[in-house]
Parts: sequence; structure tokens; C-alpha cells
Amino acid sequence: MALLEIKNLHAVIDGKEILKGINLTINAGEVHAIMGPNGSGKSTLCHVLGGRDGYEVTEGTITFDGHDLLEMETEERAVAGMLLGFQHPVEIPGVKNIYLLKEALNAKREAQGLDEVDTFTFMKQVRELVASMDMDDAFLHRGVNAGFSGGEKKRNEILQMLLLEPKLALLDETDSGLDIDALKVVSEGINRMRGEERGIILVTHYQRLLNYVEPDFVHVLYKGKIIKSGDKSLAHRLEAEGYQEILEEAS
Amino acid sequence: MRKELPDWLKTAMPETAAAPKAIARTAREQAETLGLPGLRDEEWRWTNLRAIQRGEFTAPTGVGADIEPSVRLPLDNPLRLRFIDGVFEGVPNDVPEGLTLTALPDADEDTRQAAFSPTPAPSVENPNDALVTLNTAMAREGVVIDVAANAVIDRPIVVEWLDGATESVMSHPRVLVRLGQSSSATLIEHIETVGEQPSWRNSVIVSTIAANAVLTHIALGLDGARRLATERTFVSLERDARYHSHNVQLGGQMIRREYDIHVGGSGAHVDLIGLMMPRGKQVLDTHTRITHAAADTTSNEHYRTIADDAGRGIFKGRILIEEDAQRIQAYQSSNNLILSDNAEIDAKPELEIYADDVSCSHGATIGRLDEEALFYLRSRGLQLDEARGLLIAGFAQEVIDEIPLVELRDWLTERVEQRLGDRDTAGNETA
Repeated sequence: MALLEIKNLHAVIDGKEILKGINLTINAGEVHAIMGPNGSGKSTLCHVLGGRDGYEVTEGTITFDGHDLLEMETEERAVAGMLLGFQHPVEIPGVKNIYLLKEALNAKREAQGLDEVDTFTFMKQVRELVASMDMDDAFLHRGVNAGFSGGEKKRNEILQMLLLEPKLALLDETDSGLDIDALKVVSEGINRMRGEERGIILVTHYQRLLNYVEPDFVHVLYKGKIIKSGDKSLAHRLEAEGYQEILEEAS
Repeated sequence: MRKELPDWLKTAMPETAAAPKAIARTAREQAETLGLPGLRDEEWRWTNLRAIQRGEFTAPTGVGADIEPSVRLPLDNPLRLRFIDGVFEGVPNDVPEGLTLTALPDADEDTRQAAFSPTPAPSVENPNDALVTLNTAMAREGVVIDVAANAVIDRPIVVEWLDGATESVMSHPRVLVRLGQSSSATLIEHIETVGEQPSWRNSVIVSTIAANAVLTHIALGLDGARRLATERTFVSLERDARYHSHNVQLGGQMIRREYDIHVGGSGAHVDLIGLMMPRGKQVLDTHTRITHAAADTTSNEHYRTIADDAGRGIFKGRILIEEDAQRIQAYQSSNNLILSDNAEIDAKPELEIYADDVSCSHGATIGRLDEEALFYLRSRGLQLDEARGLLIAGFAQEVIDEIPLVELRDWLTERVEQRLGDRDTAGNETA
């Protein structure tokens, strides 16, 4: 059974159709990159998968780990193992990072029928992850993303993923706006998540990230449809030739 | 238009007041002229005193019952100054060195003169001064808190306003706080209604902070369904003095709190931090007026309101920078959260600047919970209710975090969380 299966997905926002029949299958153990120019529907796809309000799915189905995803609330998707890494992680001053991490982990554990995590184990694990993301412990007691730089916000997204160990990590432009040091740390984090049990979708505008995280499959999204799929060489072609060549070829 | 002083209030004017005779006499005359503020008075547009007008409150008879507050604040060895229905129970006997506490009627003439001569002086021209004038005319109870020069008073001084012990009682207590040069003290107002009775307290605190002294002043208005209160605080600061104010209002039927801060010496600094959480039909109103009368002074003001049900929150913050007061930094922000369709928040900043070398900013926001933040938390697996609660608590936490007493801060965090936990989220779901 595929981890994620999207069939003929059409989605509308404010009366405008943005996704026009997407088909995509992702199996555990695979890393997929979805690339596309601005306005191709990348973020819409992420939002629809995440369950964001305001998007209407007019046609098609999404099956996630055997569940009908479109019937699930955002939080149900999360505890079932799908985690969305935000293009623009939200600043929530007043809610401490450490608190969010613990609540998120416990929400997932509760859904799995497990007890709440014990504080000692939790803190130990979190501290290790913080160090591995090249972050300072002090960040745990700051507000969620509050006053973080762009790079810190993205590191925080990856940190959450490493802690929550989703079955499917959906990373929306996690590489945008990162300097090279931050990109390396973020990529290392993503590579650590790779594994037999887990699917990863990298939604990106740039090929650069794929130099550090090597995808198994690359898809080109254009005007709400996947117009071409291939292996990582497709990304290199996109970088070398630009979208235009491939768009013409596909049409 | 102002409202005439109701008859029950006129007849309640005492023969003897705590103010020196001449002051009391003048105040009595002025109080009758001023009456009570009405909705047409600019400063009272959003808050009406109808409940007081109609209240037929009587002066306290001095029940003297041994009434305790419902909660014990987590404070280290506090000096408790208890006012039951405005009646002062007397000074404690273990007052530390450097601190002098005197019941107001026992204070000498000069001290009483000081207690009734705030800066700026109330004016018969100003309808907003009606209540302080009334207090001057009627005050019989109060306390004088004197901190000697260089004294550091570690024990928090807690004024407990325990209202509503007897039925329909009004009180007009007056407190004088004087900090000598380079001294420091913490004043806490613990405000709550101890019975089910309606009450009205019209209290005035006059404080003077001498050069290089620091006063931390925390007001905690806890629950009390039928409490009406009109509270006014005057603060004047000399050179290099600091005043840190934290105003937390969690309950009461109608609470109007006003701060008049006169920053009169260079190097002085003022923080005004506030949190108001009206719910039910509560009206929680704070007006602040900061006057920068000296050069090189700074002020930092940050107020937040969370209005639920049909609650109303009002914040008006005025900053006046006088002509000769150069190199001023004055920041003000007012952030407000509306949780229900029937709640209302009015926020109004007011800057009046007559100097030219000034760095000044203000901003007011009023909004609902951030949908983006809700989505973010839910995408991490948090239930909608939990996510909402977390965001609301987080919004309040940012101002609570500024309170310098750690135990009190933690206690308040918990209290606010409990309070938010009580709310019927389903009933307040917004479309």
C-alpha cells in the first residue's frame, strides 16, 4: 500500500481552480521533490494536504496510510503521522517552544495509545536534537519562532520533525531564503529523517536543496498539474535549461 | 453632560474627613459642582457610571469582621494592609526598618496635606476630576506608606481592597506612598470582592518617588461580579526615579482605573504594563496619562485586553511631552483580542508633543485569534480548543512575563490559564 496516493486532485480557492488533476503516489522510503515556477500550485498542494481552511477540493481523492485524508481534520492528519513544514513558520510569542514540542509529542502519543512522555526522557531527547540542529538551548524557552531569523525558523521546523518522527514529512519551500550554513544544517536534518518507514516530499522552487538531499523522484508542477516526472536528473535539467524547455517538451 | 451628584451621595458627605479642613471643605463644594461624569464627557465616552448613580450606596459602618481574601498571593512575608469595605484595619506591628506606616487620620497635618495634594492638582474645570474630588471630600480612611531614604524594603507591601463584605457599601479610601531618595519598595494592590454584595470603591493613591528611588506597583483585580470601582493613581517622579506599574484586571462589574504619571526629573523612567480580561458583561477600563515634564526621560507602555462574551475593554493612553522636555523616548502599544461577537474593545492612544527632539511611537491593534497561528498549532497535532486556549494564554503571557516577582508571575499564569479553561469555547465559536 502506498503511503500517500493522490488521484485526480482538483482544488479551488476563492472560486479559482488552482489544482487541475494531480496524480501522485509516494511510498515509504522515498524522497520526492516537487518543483515548479511561482504560481504553479505548489503551496496550494501543501495546504490542501495539510487541511488548511479556504481550499475546496472539487474532485479527486487523497489516501494517506489507508485513511481518506480529506475526511480528516488538520490535527488528525498530524497525529496520524503527516507533518507539514511551513514555508513561513508562524511566530507565536507567549507560547514557549518547549511547551509546543511537548504538547505535539503527547498528542501523537495519545493517538497511538501511549502514555505521556516522561519529562526526563523528553528533555534529554530535545536537548540532543537542539544541539544537532546547531541551535541554542535558550531557544526552547523562547516563544515559538518569535523573533527568529528565517534560518532559525526553518531549523525549528526540522527539529519538530526529528522529534515527532512523522510517516510523511511534507516540506514546503524549507530551503527558501536560507544561507548556505543553515541550508547544510537543514539538509542534514532531512537526510537523518530518511528511512524505510518514512516518505518525504520536498516542495521547492530551487534545485539547490537537491544537491544536499538527493531525491528519488522529481516532479514538475505547472499550472496545477504534474507535467513531467523523472529521477534526480530532471532537477539538473531544470537548473541547466530552465522551466521553459521542459514545459514546451511536455506540451 | 455631567450628572448631578445623587442625593444619597450628597447626604453621605461626612462632617469630618481625613483631609485637612480647608481642603475637605473646598472639595465638598467642588464635588457638588462637578457631579458625576456622564457619557458626554470625553473621558467617559465608553464607560458609564449609571450603576453608581442608581446604586444608593452607603458609607461603611465598619463591620470589622475578620474577613480574609479568598486567595493568598504567593509573596514572601508580605506586609498586609487590609481594607474591608474601605475600612482600614490598622497597621501591622512588625514593620521593617526604613518603613513607616500610619493610618491616615492619625497622620500629621502636613502629611495629610500631601495625601490630598497630588500632581497634577485636580481641577474644577475638568469633569474627569469629579471622582478624585469626591474622594477628597469623603475620605475618612487610608494609610500613609513612608519609605526612608536609601531603604530597600524587600517585603512586599500589600494593600488588600476587600470589597462587598456588607450590602451596597461605598468607600473613598486614600493612600499616600512616599519613597525617599534612592529607596525601593514594592506595592501590591490585591483587589477582590469578598461577598455577593454590590459595592463601590472610589480609591485614590498618591505617590511621590524621590530621586533615584524605585517603586514597583502591581494591581491585581481578581474576580468580583458586583464590584464597581473607580481607582486613580497619581505618581510623580523626581530625577532618575523609576516607576514600574503592572495592572492586571480579571474581574469586576465596572472597573475604571486611571494613572496620572508626572515625570518631573531628568533620567526618570516609567513602565506601564497592563492586562485586562473582561468577560460576561464586565467593563474593564484603564486610562493612563503620562506627562514628560523633564528632558531625558523615558516611558514604556504596553497594554493588552482580551474581551470575551459581552465584555468590554477600554484603554486610553495619553502621552504629553512638554515643550522643554527634549530627548524623550516614549513607546506605547495596545494589543487587543476579541473572542466573541458581542465583546467590544475601545483603544485610543493620544500623543501631544510640544518638544522637537523626541522619539515616540504608539500602536494599537484589535483582532481575533490569528488563523495562521491556529493552523500551525493544529498541524502539530493540537486540538482546535487546545490551540485556541494556547494562543489566548500566550497573548496574556507576554504581559504577565513582565511582572518582576517570579512566584506571583507563575501564580498569575496559572490563574489566567484556569480562567481561560473555564470559558465555554463552543459557545464562543466565531464564524
